[in-house]
Amino acid sequence: MSLSSASPQPRINAGRSALWLLAGLTVRFLLAPIAVIIVVSFNDTTLFSFPPTRWSLRWYHALWESRAWREAGWFSLWLASLVALASLLIGVPAAYGLAKGRFPGRRLAEALLISPMVVPVIVLALGLYMLFSKLGLIGTPTSLFLAHTLLALPVVIVIVGAAFRRLDGSIELAARSCGASFPRAFWHIVLPAIRPALISAGAFAFLTSFDEVVLTLFLGGPRTATLPKKIWESVKFELDPSLTAVSTILIIVSIAALLLVEVARRSRVQRQAKEAL
Amino acid sequence: MTLVAASAVPSVKAARAWRARPGLMIAGALAFCAIVYLLPMLSLFGWAFQGPTGSGASLAQLSRLIGDDTYHYAFFTTFEIAAITTLICALIGYPYAYLMATTGPRLAMLLTAAVMIPFWTSVLARSLAWMILLGRKGVVNEWLTGLGLLERPAALLFNSIGVQIGMVHVLLPFMVLPIWSILSRLDPGLPRAARSLGASPAAAFIHVTLPLSLPGLAAGATLVFMFAIGFYITPALLGGPNDLTIASLIEMVVRDLLDWPFGAMLSLALLGLVALVFACGAAFAGAGRIAGIEGR
Repeated sequence: MSLSSASPQPRINAGRSALWLLAGLTVRFLLAPIAVIIVVSFNDTTLFSFPPTRWSLRWYHALWESRAWREAGWFSLWLASLVALASLLIGVPAAYGLAKGRFPGRRLAEALLISPMVVPVIVLALGLYMLFSKLGLIGTPTSLFLAHTLLALPVVIVIVGAAFRRLDGSIELAARSCGASFPRAFWHIVLPAIRPALISAGAFAFLTSFDEVVLTLFLGGPRTATLPKKIWESVKFELDPSLTAVSTILIIVSIAALLLVEVARRSRVQRQAKEAL
Repeated sequence: MTLVAASAVPSVKAARAWRARPGLMIAGALAFCAIVYLLPMLSLFGWAFQGPTGSGASLAQLSRLIGDDTYHYAFFTTFEIAAITTLICALIGYPYAYLMATTGPRLAMLLTAAVMIPFWTSVLARSLAWMILLGRKGVVNEWLTGLGLLERPAALLFNSIGVQIGMVHVLLPFMVLPIWSILSRLDPGLPRAARSLGASPAAAFIHVTLPLSLPGLAAGATLVFMFAIGFYITPALLGGPNDLTIASLIEMVVRDLLDWPFGAMLSLALLGLVALVFACGAAFAGAGRIAGIEGR
């Protein structure tokens, strides 16, 4: 032990320092665009200059004054909430079935339900466009709701499924042997036990819809302008400075969702620590 | 006592009866997927193999795809971008994940946050940010010329450099998270044992830690490559006319040329490539490790 730790120590430190240097640059690379866009959004000029020469809330004001942006914001919020709710409603039972069920074709069903996550979105978009145009759904909120739910469902199944697999099955069995019916045990015992995972899954399903662009571009119409769709059009065709303000709002929504997930996770860790004591 | 036992018996029976039911709980999700997922995918096949007049099956679209050099160019570009992105992500993602797994809890949390915040931030907002950063008068150019590294501003946007930077930014977390997941569960006693047997830290890493973490690296590389070949937004915003990827080609063929059958054939080709990459990755890393990542 003393032999091995005596001489190589300096080399470890040199190696570690190099690793930290690289990691520091990587952190900068990862966070710089996010920091820059937030700072630039408080600019007073029409140029995207960094750092701003004069600070103001001009672009946030412009955003609030614009009816089109405001409506897109409300529509995005409404759609993403509905998608989160629907994907939890069908995803949580499915995740339970996949985690606890023993039936033929389980692996195949799991692969099928998770695979929309890896199929290129442009391929899904084209397929859905072909189907929905036959059904006359193109340009309706329904088409976006169905398409976004398809993307959010695997997120819910992966996160909630992992929680069901970690969950000790004996608490459910104990409830059942005390006479609770299956739905009762599921609602009162199983679901509260995985609450942090439900919150994460809901938050990530919400973000999946809130940030979605490609499906919205293909399937949406004039009545279904979401924030990302309006950003896309503005980036492509005019590059309006209000864009930096909308992007900042999107970033803040994402960070808020991540914080919510972290708080939910910590409350579970603390509860477990208390129970262990 | 007997009362309790008597009432417990039927409930245990009921428990057994319910045991078989979890299978039914996936029915809703399966029905949803059959309509909103399988049906559209099947309709792609229908369109791609339709005859020119709309009657009977035909391989016309397939021979068009195979026969024309323009389309080969898009496939080549896509593969080139995906391969470079995967390589860069591996080179910077592995050491990053290694530090995340081996450092103290506070620093590890900082490193994790630096990955998770961009991971869940709108890809559009990030592309816009890179447009501001990489422009001719952007921060990066001013910084490089200010340091004397460049004489005059370089073209970093609307070309393959811009695409590469944007792609690495979007896909790096998909490399870091699987590697971190495997390294953080690795028994720290294993490299320590190698060290106590006389191996240098480098040798312990190369002969013990690295081989054990290869499935994570394979899973990360598979994810990055798979997402990179289907990516649409970043190349469309940060790339130039020479960066025509398969995804942009599909959009162009469908939107501008209104050629649905060929768009469907291109989509199937892209889908086939993604499936191939997934199968190769699954052979090395296991399908579960690739699909198990929490997120998009």
